Amino acid sequence: MNPRFDRRSLMRGLIGGAAVCVGIPALDIFLDNHGKAYANGVKLPTRFGTYFWGLGLTNTAEGNLWVPTKTGPDFDIMPQLAPLAPVKSKISVFSGFRVIGDGRPNLVHWSGHASILAGAAPQNANNFEGPSFDTVVADAIGTGTRFKALDISPSGKTTSYSTRTGNSFATPETTPLALYMRLFGEGFQDPNSPNWKPDPDIILRQSVLSAITEQRKALMADVGRADQIKLDQYFTSLRETENSLAIQLQKPEKREACMIPPKPYAGKPGISIDLVNANNRQMARLMAMALACNQTKVFNVVHTSGPSETYIAGDDKTYHQRTHDEPTDAKLGYQPMSSKLAGMVMVGLGDFLTELDAVKEGDGTLLDHSVVMAFSDTGYAKIHSLENIPMIIAGGASGRHKAGQHVASKGEAVTRVSLTAQQLAGAPVGEFGSGAMKTSNPISEVMA
Amino acid sequence: MRKRWLRTAVILASAATMLSAAPGVPAGKRATANTPHTTVAIRRITESQYRHAIADIFGPDIRLNARFEPGKREGGLLAIGNSNLSLTSGGFEQYFAMARSIADQALDAKHRDALVGCRPADPKAADAACTTQFVQKYGALLFRRPLARSDVAARVAIAGKGAVQKGDFYEGLKLALDSLLMAPEFLFRIEQAEPDPDHPGQLRLDGYSKASRLSYLILDSEPDEELLRAAASGELHTQAGLERQLARMTESPRVEAGVKAFFSDLLQLDQLDGLTKDASTYPKFSQAMVDSAREETLRTLVDDLVTRDGDYRDIFTNRTTYINRPLAAVYNVPFLGGSDSWTRYTFPGDSDRAGVLTEVTFLSMFAHPGRSSPTRRGVKVNEIFLCRPTPDPPPNVDFSKVQATENGTVRTRLLDHMTNPGCAGCHRLSDPVGLTLERFDGIGQSRTAENGVPIDVSADLGGRKFNGASGLGQLLHDDPRAPACLAQQVYAYGIGREPMQADEGFLAAVAKGFADDGYRIKALYRRIGSSPEFFRVVIPEKSKPTAPGQKVAGAGSHRSAGVSR
Repeated sequence: MNPRFDRRSLMRGLIGGAAVCVGIPALDIFLDNHGKAYANGVKLPTRFGTYFWGLGLTNTAEGNLWVPTKTGPDFDIMPQLAPLAPVKSKISVFSGFRVIGDGRPNLVHWSGHASILAGAAPQNANNFEGPSFDTVVADAIGTGTRFKALDISPSGKTTSYSTRTGNSFATPETTPLALYMRLFGEGFQDPNSPNWKPDPDIILRQSVLSAITEQRKALMADVGRADQIKLDQYFTSLRETENSLAIQLQKPEKREACMIPPKPYAGKPGISIDLVNANNRQMARLMAMALACNQTKVFNVVHTSGPSETYIAGDDKTYHQRTHDEPTDAKLGYQPMSSKLAGMVMVGLGDFLTELDAVKEGDGTLLDHSVVMAFSDTGYAKIHSLENIPMIIAGGASGRHKAGQHVASKGEAVTRVSLTAQQLAGAPVGEFGSGAMKTSNPISEVMA
Repeated sequence: MRKRWLRTAVILASAATMLSAAPGVPAGKRATANTPHTTVAIRRITESQYRHAIADIFGPDIRLNARFEPGKREGGLLAIGNSNLSLTSGGFEQYFAMARSIADQALDAKHRDALVGCRPADPKAADAACTTQFVQKYGALLFRRPLARSDVAARVAIAGKGAVQKGDFYEGLKLALDSLLMAPEFLFRIEQAEPDPDHPGQLRLDGYSKASRLSYLILDSEPDEELLRAAASGELHTQAGLERQLARMTESPRVEAGVKAFFSDLLQLDQLDGLTKDASTYPKFSQAMVDSAREETLRTLVDDLVTRDGDYRDIFTNRTTYINRPLAAVYNVPFLGGSDSWTRYTFPGDSDRAGVLTEVTFLSMFAHPGRSSPTRRGVKVNEIFLCRPTPDPPPNVDFSKVQATENGTVRTRLLDHMTNPGCAGCHRLSDPVGLTLERFDGIGQSRTAENGVPIDVSADLGGRKFNGASGLGQLLHDDPRAPACLAQQVYAYGIGREPMQADEGFLAAVAKGFADDGYRIKALYRRIGSSPEFFRVVIPEKSKPTAPGQKVAGAGSHRSAGVSR
């Protein structure tokens, strides 16, 4: 490795040919006296993300590998949360929250996150009862960026749980390279470039879309309700693209934490846990720069889907299969291999948060200016439990989150945590969920 | 490829003649001028429909390099699930980039003259007349019906603006084409109904909507010039005219693309996209193998069902297939051809390899990354070929009695499902079926033992005893539910929704007709496509009440409350 490196070589993101991503403190000269905003008056925005992993964590009557034994600020990190230890002071852990189904079926590997995201247990698998709340947050805070939200799926599966209709789900980027090209390929404008000038072709691109918008009224006349929802979503998507073009016509605000990362190599496709975590880490770095470079303020990660197909390389059984087949170890009180896999899956979340925390921004880090709500589809996967679904809110929310706590509930609705995350992110939402999971009561202990 | 392109050009030339004769109609009166219309369905086109449309209209050498929005399977078909989908913003962005790339390629110096059909007075300036001609012609092909006057005018305006700004007529034209390619009228199939003159007070699908249904059913693409002409002239509303078009389409070589698209959907071949296997367990698994497997399945089906016009039931027993080098390695058979060549190969009569269930596609898709899965395979046999979907598993399954699986065969483990009352109901239907395919591993390689124990592939389904994959193939071949299921799925695929109760009598008649036709798929297309049920109008539920006095045309009078979604 080349021992000589300086800020410039870091900016290029290359040392001796190896890709690195090292956070550099924004120079103080860029900041105003309070350190909260850049000297040019740009306030550091709060970002929001969801992070999903499949198959829950281990908590049985006899064995507990994740629920902290202590509540409040001095909570203890249990083995499966060990990957989160480096950011312990920046997370809140929520245990004991559950899905209250109102008589709806437990649709395995679906009802849990459908409830957390859309506020109600769905009647049918593959649909949510309404929009996922990340889209509400995106509408509130995801303005002024090229992308209203970005979705990634490091396991390579085309899985996203972000939806505006409850029916059509977002299309995630499934490889680091694809994410890189989307972010830093065509259409990217370096916010720190000294020679920015607007591209006149963008105005023509806008006109392509305005010709379509002109026909909207004629199209919408006399359509059925379901078709109207489809057309509404189409025109919402069109409008978002128009907004994105409009933003490209404005000179971007300087972003000192923004460093264009090197192009990642294609990577190996595969869903063994080592490959998923490697992709996840690469994509976390890219996503951190997407946020730092103000390309988006909202993101959704599906590390592994509900019925997670990941596995330990060389093992002939998938994680999901193991949660079904593996005998419970009488001494331990849980399934040992499945639980080991759960711990490996949590490495992904630890990596993701660590990468956000590595980017210095203002008086703190990117993670300090973010809210990441992480959760799974189930509590203990072996029984597809909808009780005690692990939920974590990470990030300082620009000072709004009193992080570093464990909040234990005795069976309240998961929607309380969802509402808390929305409010921490700055979305003007006073109430969330429906039926028995309707709540207007966020978890005030974690709110400053 | 070249020939097809030339043919398309000829079609387009005559389409221009036909369409330029069709006057623009005012916006809001899209069905036919001066008649009220009702939009009855809006269905997002699939990736393969998009690809076929672009290839048919602009030539097969246009490269499409973008990620399509994923489909969603409902009732066993993406064709149904896609009917309920819209376009997310991420997807919109992708299509937007793709539209620009298509416009750039279609109107580059190499293609523009053949495509545009007129020349601007000054290539450095706007030319409204030539632009109008272009927009009318390609707009109608893309939208599957003539454009409203305002639709044309909007595109002519942006082309003019672009031509002025860029100082290039064709740069402006690209914007117009771009805008057509992004329009909901292209990205969605918008089906419209009009008053039925033969049944006052009732509605019928308009001619263009009928043309689209037929074309997508049989060719998986946009209606061609002749079909649009038949739509415009009202011929599709007459039985003779309809049957003439059906005969023409089913005898066209393009029916191969349609059959491939249908079976790709039915057999769920989209699951091959992104399929991964554990590299240490299956070193022969590769992208080349996956691509070859898809090609094998589709080639064999086209050969059996189109080229030979064979009996559908034979796909379960046919020992003849197509292989190339990567597949020969998986099947462990000799291959003398070159690395790019394909050859017909017949497995010997004593081999267990017979029919579509023993191809790499089915065996590898419905398995785990590191092992086979009798349950998945059994579930998929029931779902895909017998239209018997398996309900979701119960959430609180007790597997505490499950034994260690490092020894013996998977049969031992699955026996627990059969004795566990919460599981038995479904697993009794799936596992015995899947276990007969156990002599093929997770990518479809033959094997006779697992963990050193010989694999038992015997089965007893409702008193019918059989053995192995060839026994299962024969069982399906002889089961009348299999061709009836195919007929049902062809119908569902064409109408974009799951059949409802009112369709039962019709489906029974189609199944019988399919048998009378010797189970030939082209005859099945004609039978379904010529039926009034295929064009039945189902009025969608409205946010506002529908006008009184409107009844629904067709066999039943079911509103969407009866449509199962």
